[in-house]
Amino acid sequence: MAEVLRTLRLYGRLQRAAARGALQYRLNLLIGVVTGVVYQGSGFAFVWVVMHTFPSMGGWSLREVAFLYGLRLTAHALYVLPFSSLIGLEWLVREGELDRVLLRPLNPLVQIMAKRLGVGQVGDLLAGVVLLVIAVPPLNPGMILFCLAAVVGGALVEAAVSLALASLSLRALNTLALRAFADDLFSKFGSYPMGVFGGAARWALTFVLPVAFVAYVPASVLLDRTGELIVPAPVACGSPLLGVALFALAYRVWRRQLRHYQSTGS
Amino acid sequence: MIRVESLTKVFRRPRAFSGPLGPLRTLVTRRYDERTAVDGVSFEIPEGEIVGYLGPNGAGKSTTVKMLTGILTPTDGLIEVGGRVPWRDREANARAVGVVFGQRSQLWWDLPLIDSLRLVGDLYDVPAARFTGSLRRMCDLLGLDDFLHTPVRQLSLGQRMRGDLAAAMLYDPPILYLDEPTVGLDVMAKQAVREFIAETNRIGRTTVVLTTHDLADVEALCRRIILIDKGRVLFDGGIDDLVTAYAPPRRLVVELADDETRAFEIAAGSSIPELIARVSAEHTIRDLSIHEPDLESVIKRIYAESER
Repeated sequence: MAEVLRTLRLYGRLQRAAARGALQYRLNLLIGVVTGVVYQGSGFAFVWVVMHTFPSMGGWSLREVAFLYGLRLTAHALYVLPFSSLIGLEWLVREGELDRVLLRPLNPLVQIMAKRLGVGQVGDLLAGVVLLVIAVPPLNPGMILFCLAAVVGGALVEAAVSLALASLSLRALNTLALRAFADDLFSKFGSYPMGVFGGAARWALTFVLPVAFVAYVPASVLLDRTGELIVPAPVACGSPLLGVALFALAYRVWRRQLRHYQSTGS
Repeated sequence: MIRVESLTKVFRRPRAFSGPLGPLRTLVTRRYDERTAVDGVSFEIPEGEIVGYLGPNGAGKSTTVKMLTGILTPTDGLIEVGGRVPWRDREANARAVGVVFGQRSQLWWDLPLIDSLRLVGDLYDVPAARFTGSLRRMCDLLGLDDFLHTPVRQLSLGQRMRGDLAAAMLYDPPILYLDEPTVGLDVMAKQAVREFIAETNRIGRTTVVLTTHDLADVEALCRRIILIDKGRVLFDGGIDDLVTAYAPPRRLVVELADDETRAFEIAAGSSIPELIARVSAEHTIRDLSIHEPDLESVIKRIYAESER
């Protein structure tokens, strides 16, 4: 317990130091937040236009799609906010920054996470939460708890995939393109009702890369649409736990790959 | 304090494929390029010793240091630092060692030096009272006061290196690894760094492992050196022993009347007056001097021999 508190305290201190460093480039910071809002706003504007042309999408109303979109976006922002420096892991490895991390008596992943706060994602988070609040269906207290768990679970699913793939760059592999591809799949296909996709794509997006579990499956539970899922309803209700399990697994992969880290010459 | 036995590190890199699906191919194929960086190195370093760890570029110096710090996991062999296996017990080991890489700063680039030092104090759980004392001592020893509040990116190389040394010793580790700490520094800064290392070792009995290309560092600080090349130990012992064992003969250098300079090797046990008499019988000598072999020429000779 003391160790956990120490880790949290140090994470806070390092994160504050990183923020102080970033504040030296104020304009950069501002542009990041603003483009985040504009980018995500334009994404939803696209959905809005589509929905006004065709009143429903895979049987879902605009409001329901907005809720799903908001759920996915909030989960995504919640993953990127603390994990944004993972995106630059190849760079950290190549520049020998990881050596420096490994010299410190603190969990390496925590140190990497504390290198940067994804301020650009504050825009995403804002856009996501606003959508969620506008489009949320009437929920009882239990469902509200499930909704919060679903957001965290969804964030953990994305974090798990990202961490597992990033681990491979510790073995001098460049997985940036692969990760960008996975990220793209999450954002392109995670925000819409899966019913609009064909059977094979839907199956792959559920069982190969668990895109469906980030938002579509829990949103179906909250909107009482579990009947159209290709997973049984009890599994759908347990979807937040899947995020926890996948992340635990990804963390094990990370620890293993860290043993194989080869550093740089010099 | 430090015990290394038949330490070996083989780097295995997956062969990279190019093209759009290259990374995927690299991932699934099992083709590797192998390179042995450290090849059966053994040594022991007792507490309080300063050891120079020397070798040409690519000899395996940095790889050894990275294994000693727990950054890299050895392929084979045994390491013990203060009774711990660094790669297995990385965090505990990290608390017991200070590390300075001359080529790469450990400080927070965009923050004032004092902030970096505070963060180091936090990371190593240095209590507030001890931190204040340590900081005072570092400021006095290294003269940090003038630039304590300057962002690290604005420091000169010499100032930055002094900051790095302070960060490495702030939590009083019993062991200090220095990887080319004087690279690129001017004469005065080099002197300051050497004095700090000698002082730390004298007062705190800190064990120091120093890798460097600058033999003046070694001559100023170390009594023992370990010489490696191609991942193997070529020599381990006192500097004096090294010079006696490998020294090329002393040379008599004479300047002749016609501005010509000539050098004659003085064979071991031969008489110098006789040599001078012989040379002056044939030439008119204007000036003469006897050149003692320096450490550099000794080491050059050892590398040259290991090439063969």
